Amino acid sequence: MSSIVQVTDLVKRFGDFTAVDGVSFSIEEGEVFGLLGPNGAGKTTTISMISCLLGPDGGNVVVNGHSVKTASTAVKRELGVVPQEVALYPTLSAAENLAFWGRMYGLSGTALKSAVADALVLAGLEDRSKERVEKYSGGMKRRINIAAGVLHKPRVLLMDEPTVGIDPQSRNHILETVKDLNASGMTVLYTSHYMEEVEFLCDRIAIMDHGKIIAVGTLNELRDVVGGMDVVSVSVSDVSDSTLSAVRVLAGVESADSTEGKLTVLTKSSGSILGGLVAALESEGAHVTSVTVEEPNLESVFLHLTGKSLRD
Amino acid sequence: MSRLIHIAVKDVKTLLRDRAAFLIMLGMPLVLIFILGSALGGVGESENIDIPVAIVSQDNGSEGALFAKAIADVKELESVFNIDVRDDFDTVRSEVERGDLTAALVIPGGFSDALAAGDPVTLEVLQDPGSQLTAGLWAGVARAAAANLSAGQIVRLTVTNLLTEAGVPAGAQQPGGGSPEMTFDAVSVKTVEVEPEKQIALIDYYAAGQTGMFLLFGAMFGAFGFVRERREQTLARVLASPASKFDVVGGKSLGILTVGVAQFFVLFLGTTYLFGVDWGPTPGGIIIVGIAEAFAATGLAMTLSALAKSERAIGGIGPTVIMLFAALGGSMIPVDQMPAWMKPLQSISPVYWALDAFLGLMRGGAMSTVMVSVGALLGIGVVLFGFGLWRLSYE
Ligand SMILES: Nc1ncnc2c1ncn2[C@@H]1O[C@H](COP(=O)(O)OP(=O)(O)O)[C@@H](O)[C@H]1O
Ligand SMILES: [Mg+2]
Repeated sequence: MSSIVQVTDLVKRFGDFTAVDGVSFSIEEGEVFGLLGPNGAGKTTTISMISCLLGPDGGNVVVNGHSVKTASTAVKRELGVVPQEVALYPTLSAAENLAFWGRMYGLSGTALKSAVADALVLAGLEDRSKERVEKYSGGMKRRINIAAGVLHKPRVLLMDEPTVGIDPQSRNHILETVKDLNASGMTVLYTSHYMEEVEFLCDRIAIMDHGKIIAVGTLNELRDVVGGMDVVSVSVSDVSDSTLSAVRVLAGVESADSTEGKLTVLTKSSGSILGGLVAALESEGAHVTSVTVEEPNLESVFLHLTGKSLRD
Repeated sequence: MSRLIHIAVKDVKTLLRDRAAFLIMLGMPLVLIFILGSALGGVGESENIDIPVAIVSQDNGSEGALFAKAIADVKELESVFNIDVRDDFDTVRSEVERGDLTAALVIPGGFSDALAAGDPVTLEVLQDPGSQLTAGLWAGVARAAAANLSAGQIVRLTVTNLLTEAGVPAGAQQPGGGSPEMTFDAVSVKTVEVEPEKQIALIDYYAAGQTGMFLLFGAMFGAFGFVRERREQTLARVLASPASKFDVVGGKSLGILTVGVAQFFVLFLGTTYLFGVDWGPTPGGIIIVGIAEAFAATGLAMTLSALAKSERAIGGIGPTVIMLFAALGGSMIPVDQMPAWMKPLQSISPVYWALDAFLGLMRGGAMSTVMVSVGALLGIGVVLFGFGLWRLSYE
């Protein structure tokens, strides 16, 4: 089976800086493919090259047999794009926005009408469709932003961090929407820096950092990367650099990093290191409030591969 | 192509919902035209009446000058007229044509001789047709003076006749003899309207000037739209759809042009019906000039979109450029009162060409006389559009 999206050795430079550095992956028809990485990893730049907004400095993207370098219009016809920022016309209503985006994808007449109606249902905003988008809450804008990307029923949907900065209810609505769209046959490329979302949604996941793909696979395949290891999560007051260094040299600690009052430690033997770990923290003057041992997740994979936490 | 149209429609819709744009593109010019036109235009009719008039004597005898002096010395006239006694008929005539003088009383050559001979004399009053009322006042003064003179003439002729009958030889009588016919029309006044170089009322001037200036504000809002779409990423989103850059640039330009033309029609019809502005006998020409300037504004929008990275920048550059064009073009002070060094710069200003063409048509000029201006507006539009397109960034 040939892939619907084939990304090969993709490179993008901004001046001296290489934002995307030899990225390769492929997406099979019908799957939800996750691109997970921290801010600045190069996710948006990669998506921009797939959607023909940026020309690659190296490598290629082929979508359903069309190369972005030679057949960009054909590529664009296959795609729906949900940009990272809400990209809508604030003074137009939701219905007007949707109709405009539908027309950009060649819809008209009754096909356009029913597509707009469906998209409003998808966004759960049928009864507020005549209000200007600028009057909407952040979550509602995000939902219309997504609806505008899918109303023409694209073969492949590119979603760039569609849940950033919204309330949990809207987020759940969006995640369910992605599941539904995928169930209806749409192939989805979903980027995020939230591992929970990617774990929940994606059939296969690529982890990206500093412009490079550092691991690709199903969730289980990626967990095997840290096979046999546990994640020890410590809630702790302020962790200094010297505390972190002290923890990293403890016997049995594979890697460790901290963010916002949380210390994450990767270890093969959680049972034997816990005592020493807490003692080391206390002796450094840090105050421990809770310790939990978890199954490996994408966070621990990332920590293992890069030596740092996903959320920084 | 249909995407291009949809983009244009969306832009027009967006702009129509922008209250600030409405206020600046329609509200401000209408208010300014009203204030400048009616407030300044009213000054001429206020209490300090000081109507500039002249008396020109072409007489080679002495009676003409005496008659002129007699009128000029009448105290009661001083409060109303500023009377100049002159002898340069041609200059006076052109001053009346230009409206610098409201009217002039012309004493013909041979005035003294005619009086002496008792022949009828016709005095002429030249008057500026744009100032019927005040010029009429002066004609009235001239008539009164003529009636006085006629009466004096009759008395003199009567005396002469009596003296003749009494046997005094004609040669000894003071002014010449002849056989006088008694007539009350010894001196009559005929008024002559000078060939009109049509005067443009102040409100008409400002209607043309402000329309010329404010049509360029469409360019500013067009550029705002472009930069906003770049910042809010809707531009990227359109370009990620099958719409091409041609659709985007063409659609946005068509939208700006449409809004500019609509703005022109509102100002054109609004000033005509609200303020009674007289745009002259060739409305078709006015419309062509208006559309040509809207086209130039579209070009300016592209250049502004290319030069400015942010809405803030356009908010700074846009009005500065527009004010400069307007000042060069005569929207603020009439072009002929401008310092000489500014004149060579005028031709870069779309406002100059638009105003020049508007005023030409208002004065009754034919469509053919404004073709150069229309060409210049289209040329400026093409150059600005080309430059904008060349430098435009879509990200
Ligand atoms: N237009 C640009 N010019 C210069 N640098 C850029 C540009 N776009 C992105 N970058 C840089 O490239 C890197 C990757 O950015 P991006 O693809 O947006 O990351 P992500 O979406 O994963 O957060 C970042 O360091 C960012 O600052
Ligand atoms: Mg991003």
